[in-house]
Amino acid sequence: MKFEKKRANTKQNIPTASLPDIVFMLLLFFMVTTTLREVDVLVQYRLPEAKAIEKIENKRLVSYIWVGKDGRIQVNDSIVKLGDIQKIMYSKRVALPNVIVSLRIDKGSEMGIVTDIQQELRKASCLRINYSTLLKI
Amino acid sequence: MVQIKKRKLPEAEIPTSSMADISFLLLLFFLVSTVIDVDTGIGLVLPEYVPPEQQQFVPLSKDRLAALLINENGDVLLNNELISIPQISKTLKPRIESKIDLPANKKLVVSVKTDRKTSYNLFIQALDQVKQAYFDVRNEYALKHFGKRLIDIDDRSEEMKELKDKIPITISIAEPETVKK
Repeated sequence: MKFEKKRANTKQNIPTASLPDIVFMLLLFFMVTTTLREVDVLVQYRLPEAKAIEKIENKRLVSYIWVGKDGRIQVNDSIVKLGDIQKIMYSKRVALPNVIVSLRIDKGSEMGIVTDIQQELRKASCLRINYSTLLKI
Repeated sequence: MVQIKKRKLPEAEIPTSSMADISFLLLLFFLVSTVIDVDTGIGLVLPEYVPPEQQQFVPLSKDRLAALLINENGDVLLNNELISIPQISKTLKPRIESKIDLPANKKLVVSVKTDRKTSYNLFIQALDQVKQAYFDVRNEYALKHFGKRLIDIDDRSEEMKELKDKIPITISIAEPETVKK
């Protein structure tokens, strides 16, 4: 009589067939949730710092105005004159009624240019603004 | 009887073991190449534009108004008292607190006015202090009445509504002066 060792006859490998599906799902989630950076920033700026700041949750509402160290103003993809802001921002507001204008202004700027931009925005009735700042630690 | 053995076909299988690796690589690429920066900043709503000839003078009682003036040297005047920027929030807090129970048309209005030559950085620091004062008061109110910190309260809840009702943030950016040389 022959003795045979008792062995469980289950397979020993882990089923990995669904692993790619899971990873692809993760991948798709990331692709859907992220917004890609659209514009090249042509001006140099350093943001000021502040403590009591808020987050803008909905990125799709935001439109940016950059003001660089040298006082140049950028909207969308190009440098614009102060007088052009009203027209551009008004067309943005028509397309997106509750647009938030995020002002990314160099911290060394003077308030003169900031007030000028604000006046232009008021004329274009883009009233929700946000002074972009970094978090002061 | 002769049994004809059927020839066993080899099992057809696609090698999928590397699929996971490939998809992980793609995932990593996306994780690395995307910028997840949440926009942070100080929010504000500008007043509607009214042409100068249609502007109306609305009288505002002295105890409702906190006038904040910043000149180009960085000196700060709060209701004609010279203070430094870090003191703003401390000075404003009691004034905001004293008006919590008053009706909406009696709340404090903070008016910020700067020179054309004032540095933007100073303006932001001052605005930050004003917001800080409001947030502190809201936080204390929330702790006292709801037993929650301000950051734990949902933005759409009834509690937040009450907070916004009791302690509205009214910051007015003063109309720039046309000619001043």
